[in-house]
Amino acid sequence: MTFEQFKDACFRLALEKGCDNAEIYSVSGDSFSVNVLSEELDRYSVARENGLNLRVLFDGKNGYAYTELFEDPEFLVDRAIDNAKAIETTDVNPMQGVCEYPEITPPENPIMELSESEKIGLAMRLERDTLAFDGRVNRMGYCSVSTGTTHTHICNTLGLNAESSDKFSYAVIGPILRQGEDENEAYAFRFGKDLLDCSSMIKESVDNALMRFNARTVDSGEYRVLIRYDAAADLLQAFSGMFSADSVQKGLSLLAGKLGEQIAAENITIFDDPFEKDNPRAFDDEGVPSVMTTVVENGVLKSYLHNLKTALKDGVASTSNAGRPGVAAPIGIAATNFYIAPGIKTYDQMIGLLDNGLIITELGGLHAGLNPVSGDFSLIASGLLVQNGSILRSVEQITCAGNFLELMKNIETVGSDLHMGLPGNGRFGSPSLLISKLIISGK
Amino acid sequence: MISKKIAEAVLEEALRTGGDFSELYMQDTETNSVNMVNGAVEDARYQRKVGAGVRVLKGTRSAYAYTADTSEEALIATARAAASALDGVKEFESRKLEVIRDGRTAPRIPFTEVNNAKRIALLREGTKAAKAYSDEITQVVASYMDCDHKIMVCNSNGIWAEDRRPRTRVFVQTVAMANGEAQTGNVSPGLGMGFEAYERINMEDVGREAAKIAVTMLHAPECPAGTVPVVIDGGFGGVILHEACVHGLEATSVSKGNSVFCNKLGQQIASPIVTAVDDGTMEGEWGSMHFDDEGNPAQRNVLIENGILKSYLVDILGARRMNHPVTGSGRRQDYTYAPTSRMTNTFFVNGNDDEEEMIATMGDGLFAKNMGGGSVNPLTGEFNFSVLEGYWVKNGKILCPVRGATLIGKGADVLMKIDRIGRNMWMGQGMCGSQSGSIPTNVGQPRIRVSEIVVGGKGGAL
Repeated sequence: MTFEQFKDACFRLALEKGCDNAEIYSVSGDSFSVNVLSEELDRYSVARENGLNLRVLFDGKNGYAYTELFEDPEFLVDRAIDNAKAIETTDVNPMQGVCEYPEITPPENPIMELSESEKIGLAMRLERDTLAFDGRVNRMGYCSVSTGTTHTHICNTLGLNAESSDKFSYAVIGPILRQGEDENEAYAFRFGKDLLDCSSMIKESVDNALMRFNARTVDSGEYRVLIRYDAAADLLQAFSGMFSADSVQKGLSLLAGKLGEQIAAENITIFDDPFEKDNPRAFDDEGVPSVMTTVVENGVLKSYLHNLKTALKDGVASTSNAGRPGVAAPIGIAATNFYIAPGIKTYDQMIGLLDNGLIITELGGLHAGLNPVSGDFSLIASGLLVQNGSILRSVEQITCAGNFLELMKNIETVGSDLHMGLPGNGRFGSPSLLISKLIISGK
Repeated sequence: MISKKIAEAVLEEALRTGGDFSELYMQDTETNSVNMVNGAVEDARYQRKVGAGVRVLKGTRSAYAYTADTSEEALIATARAAASALDGVKEFESRKLEVIRDGRTAPRIPFTEVNNAKRIALLREGTKAAKAYSDEITQVVASYMDCDHKIMVCNSNGIWAEDRRPRTRVFVQTVAMANGEAQTGNVSPGLGMGFEAYERINMEDVGREAAKIAVTMLHAPECPAGTVPVVIDGGFGGVILHEACVHGLEATSVSKGNSVFCNKLGQQIASPIVTAVDDGTMEGEWGSMHFDDEGNPAQRNVLIENGILKSYLVDILGARRMNHPVTGSGRRQDYTYAPTSRMTNTFFVNGNDDEEEMIATMGDGLFAKNMGGGSVNPLTGEFNFSVLEGYWVKNGKILCPVRGATLIGKGADVLMKIDRIGRNMWMGQGMCGSQSGSIPTNVGQPRIRVSEIVVGGKGGAL
């Protein structure tokens, strides 16, 4: 069956079998990715994906069923109804009806226009340029160029018919540098229009790898810490679930009951901005038109991130943060472009303000070493030791431990150097943050 | 899934531009899952993933193309897309598919014979036991997953392999709260079999254990920071082997010179009391399979024997790069990934040391009873992992529980510093993420002791 035939059959059968409403969320797309190693194709991948997630509303309950085989609509509808019948919560599950969407200007994607062989050529050139950039670059751990198109289609029996086509392109490099017996690597990426000039990406990755040589640990104790923008964004991402209204309503967030309260230092403002120019979207994963949300303003918690269901429960409007971690997943909550607003001090000025302490340039083990419910973290870290406002040496094999909410209150200064991460299931960004104290474990 | 005739045509098409090896992988996977929050089912899902991937190799060059459309025309087009990465002329013919390997054994209780009511009953039992443990348990999230993973992989060497890998797992996560503080506990056992798994997994134990961890940690002081001896309990404690060592034995890193264990075969890389194995053949285990995702039989691979490095984990492409035999380790999450070398069930083999003695003689340090996840950089061997349930040991006696501990170090150092290995190995379940996606793996060990390791935490002296 074609997609249209399959969709129509699902809707007809769902209504015949007593569903109040039915919705189909489908994503299809093409993608291309190449990784080169020693001037040869190391990995090359082209793909065509197509999947469809059916959601039915039966007796007020949501039931989901997903397939990549458009063959048996009745089986799929029956599975979705079965799943709806299993639901025991009393949540009301709204569906978006027909609505107007804001105009979105798609970001520039110059390398999308290249042919496959030109994209392979670009990856080869990236490898050559990185090797030539510094004599200590020994080889590439990673050198890839990826592009793709994603077509998203949400339609339901209320007449919603939302479609979008998004293009993406990015490059990732991971040079391995050697000094004597020691080797270190660091990754850097660029996407969209920034791919036109990759020299800054090469410099960034090589500088970061060089920074790791001759590193050693520090004495355990309490330190003033400057968390560099990329490490700060990783930490914000890891704890972003706290701001989800779903976590709050389920009692899984320490931010429950804190709307209107001071939860961070006064210099902290956090936005969720679906219109951010490099990664904009017109609607969320349940077809709600995008809106900009101020999550934290001058340290005061202003809003959680909502989808239609959590918004109805709290008696507010959806913040257009319905998200699905994959096509097959049910509707949950996801950030769009979620970031801490920048301040005015440059990174170098922040090092001066740090005076004596540590710069943390990388945090590891973020999927394991932190607890999104309690806010506690204890993470492997590396960075630089700073004495009297200047960098003394590199630091590795330390952990830094604290609590996210305490850390947010201990932010002395917010940098001007906001950097955004790669788009994925939400996209996160932060400037560098100067923290008055964190516990460091070393020797 | 498809006829051998169509498969042969696809393999032939893929060799059109000069490839010396082609492979077709097909998958049909059905997954059911149910989530329960505080005793009420919140969502139930069904998912069917169907698709195919074609791989072409020429020497150590590799191209992969995949599609969700498994019609004959789409498969041929996918073969052509993979072949387009090479620009030569045809040099090799595909062999007839005559080497048949069949791993399709039906589970005793297939998931198609299980309804949602039975799945929900398990979650209810786990939730009830967790809530009954203490009034401080404020939240219980319980989840159930079953998956019937059917694959076919054939290649231009004439191999046609089919495998069926039923798997099921439950998760109970608890939150204990008091005085504005929250701590969590979770337990998540799984097995590689049908619904008969729940004759072995006791949901009451799962719920109670998850609650016990959260409540214990709620009343625990923060773990002190420093470099101390650490005893790591059996079961999921084996994550230290997984992270600190075996990721560095995968061809993915070794074949490119990106591991601290490169060129170390036959050399002492661990303390002489250490023997480590990766065994994909263990009946009914979470990380097991009959044939791997390249059609090779699963194997029991001795990786380290008495401290000496004996083998790497090697897939077909890795074997070409390393001049090392394949080890039945080619795995992938699904058809959207090309296979690469991965772990299955990985564990330290039993030693001879007394489990109580190793704590009694450790002086001051940490007893890590339940481990969380971790990660490693294979190039430098730097690893980290979190301790879910830890106890501070003073003068060889357990003093009190401690929260928020993290262990970090370098794999090569830690393996040499293992000075005790207990007598009773068991395993825990995890999902391992790497280049070919997220796959089910077991980690395991008896209780072990490491003479010193960096413990991260934010507490003061105890």
